[in-house]
Amino acid sequence: MLVWILFLLCQVGAPALAQDLCQRDAPNGYKVRISLKTALGEDAYEWNQSEMFFFQATMAFAMRRHFQMETYNVDNIILCVQTSRVSFWFVVTSPDNTTMLIPKADVEKAVRMSRHRINNAFLLSDRTLEFLGIYPTLAAPVNPDTPPWLIVFGVVIGAVCVGIIALLISSLLQKRRKEKGMTEDGQDEEDMQVKGVENGINLDGTYNRGFTDDDRFTKL
Amino acid sequence: LIENKWDNPMQFVLACVSYAVGLGNVWRFPYLCQMHGGGGFLIPYMLMLVLLGVPLFYMELAIGQKMRLGSIGAWRAISPYLGGVGMASVVTSMYLCLYYNVINAWSFWYLFHSFQSILPWAECPVNSNLTGPVEECERATPTQYFFYRETLDISGSIEENGGIHMGQALCLLLAWIIVYLFIIKGVKSTGKVVYFTATFPYLVLIIYLIRGVTLHGSINGVKYMFTPKMEQLAKPTTWINAATQIFFSLGLGFGSLIAFASYNQYNNNFEKQAIIVSMVNSGTSIFASIVTFSIYGFKATFNYESCLERVRLLLLNTFDLAEDTISLENVNHWIAELNRTHPEQFASLGGRLETCDLEAELDTAVEGTGLAFIVYSEAIKNMPVSQLWSVLYFIMLLLLGMGSMLGNVIAVITPLSDLKFISVLSYLVGLVCLFCLLLGLGFTTRSGNYWFTMFNDYGATFSLLFIVLIEVITVCYIYGIKRFEKDVEDMLGHRLNCYWKIMLAGVSPILLIALFIFYIVNYIQGGTPTYQAWNKELGKSVVTEYPPYAQAFIGLLLASSVCCIPLTALYTYCKKRNLASGKRERTVSTVSA
Repeated sequence: MLVWILFLLCQVGAPALAQDLCQRDAPNGYKVRISLKTALGEDAYEWNQSEMFFFQATMAFAMRRHFQMETYNVDNIILCVQTSRVSFWFVVTSPDNTTMLIPKADVEKAVRMSRHRINNAFLLSDRTLEFLGIYPTLAAPVNPDTPPWLIVFGVVIGAVCVGIIALLISSLLQKRRKEKGMTEDGQDEEDMQVKGVENGINLDGTYNRGFTDDDRFTKL
Repeated sequence: LIENKWDNPMQFVLACVSYAVGLGNVWRFPYLCQMHGGGGFLIPYMLMLVLLGVPLFYMELAIGQKMRLGSIGAWRAISPYLGGVGMASVVTSMYLCLYYNVINAWSFWYLFHSFQSILPWAECPVNSNLTGPVEECERATPTQYFFYRETLDISGSIEENGGIHMGQALCLLLAWIIVYLFIIKGVKSTGKVVYFTATFPYLVLIIYLIRGVTLHGSINGVKYMFTPKMEQLAKPTTWINAATQIFFSLGLGFGSLIAFASYNQYNNNFEKQAIIVSMVNSGTSIFASIVTFSIYGFKATFNYESCLERVRLLLLNTFDLAEDTISLENVNHWIAELNRTHPEQFASLGGRLETCDLEAELDTAVEGTGLAFIVYSEAIKNMPVSQLWSVLYFIMLLLLGMGSMLGNVIAVITPLSDLKFISVLSYLVGLVCLFCLLLGLGFTTRSGNYWFTMFNDYGATFSLLFIVLIEVITVCYIYGIKRFEKDVEDMLGHRLNCYWKIMLAGVSPILLIALFIFYIVNYIQGGTPTYQAWNKELGKSVVTEYPPYAQAFIGLLLASSVCCIPLTALYTYCKKRNLASGKRERTVSTVSA
């Protein structure tokens, strides 16, 4: 009879004890937030008890992977305070002593180690499966040896310099050709001097200063 | 005298268009339009164009085409006492050359950085221990961080100098080499380049217009801009800003127009061309502002919706509601609801709850370099295929900037080559470019952007007004409107009609004097000049006063170009006096003195 009462008490007591271990703002617990609709949209699956079980199994796996000696089980992961968001709290008990909680820091290390596997198990990402308090390590920035902008700069400045050199060479060649033409025909030079060159317009004939527009200059 | 001319009148028109249509059309006009009542601003703008812009443009082209010399020679020919006007133009153009190419250097920097899979201004870079984004970037936005930290590496104030930013220096070098390439043969090379620099930006603007109006939320921006607020027309600042915008947009007073026109054939019909170029310039401003505001509307809507999304997530997470209870549309309804049902929990949200306001997003009017490099790049990063749009946009900015730069450098080179101390054109051009490059490196230092802003705000504004005022008075009253009329008739074959006469002799000088007085009053009333210094702790710009030596430098900038005019007049007067007194001693002068 006594044994039967004790057994009854244990049955009632154990979950009550478990309830005491896992509560909102538990010192060794973490809050998990899942955003299924944001991640999967139309293909979002329903979050039910089976999914909760899957979570427990995944967490047990993560704990086993981190502490390679100890055999964690689904019962060691206690969940509570589930909301429709979907969010819940969980704590991890030690496999040897179900009343003892694993400290927060160790749980964090285990989660960090297997974060990628946990995300993939639920088809989610760091942003949609959040462990509040465990910040994801950001990807290291890719630092190429030559910054890409320098490459484009090199191409452009090379092309421009080639253009300038080509222009200078072509004008040099033109000058040489003109000089060759001039020395062959000396008469051209005299004609050029006789023709007035005003502002680059080669006027035909001589420039008669008698018809200069004196009014151009303001009288003082 | 440079031995070359434009190949055909079309090159001249395109050169003027390329020079006048510049960065100001893209980033200053939309800002003014928004500040002064949207669609209503077009009324003072058009009025000032007709009263001030077109007549003065016409006058400068006439002078250049008649005298066929750069600004120094042309003004000396018109009136030897006022030859200093040309000198003042050259000094102002020189200041412009120094700092304007720095904008092109930034455009190159952004252009080269667009060739990456993720645009560098799209996301904050991670900090050294990989826990989160860099602090400064978090407090500001990624686009601001990229501009102020990675592009400029800006210091906290104008006093804190630093080293030269190598990337900027390289881009500035490239910009000057390209300018050299375009002007190496004088207008023979420039004439070919302007076919491209004048027309390609329009192509990009049209592409952007199509892209812009098809973006989500662009209609908000366009509606916001064009909603006329007629009460703004009652304020005098609206009219004054319209006048200054027309004035600076057309590039009057720098001597570039005189220089361009000096390479024309004597009988070129510049009257028609003056009207065409002015109309094209204003039309482009309006067109560009439609594009700018559709992009703006997109950015504002995007930010507004992101804000709503953040508020929605915050509410969902705090109150642990299912994901689909709150949607973007009923966020505000839920805020009221939750405040009513769970007041203590709602109060615990405290400052984290943002207020999302579309009007406030649209109201953040930004002008100048802020608009081009921060706001626009922010809008571009959110577009699909953002790298393509980024490349297109910065190529357009480059072409606009280069086109204006050509005008500035030619304005300096033409008078110098008239003085004939270096006969080979390419050497002269090379020397000028090298000189400007070396001085321009000062703008690539860590405090360089503050000096840039100083040059931008004070280097050309006041001196130009003074220069153009003296120009108009010289041509109409000292040279004489009758002689001017005769010259124009000589070139064009028909007389000045009364529109030009009334505007040039009457209306424009009066408007210019009014503008000039306003500027002086505004400057005096403004107190100590201030600038926006970037504070890296706060992640935003802070209004700071200029230190005394910087204020002295501002005074020097203003005085150095303006005092050319009285100094030259004095010098010429003294020279004539000495000459006259010398002649009287020797012979009886037969020349009427």
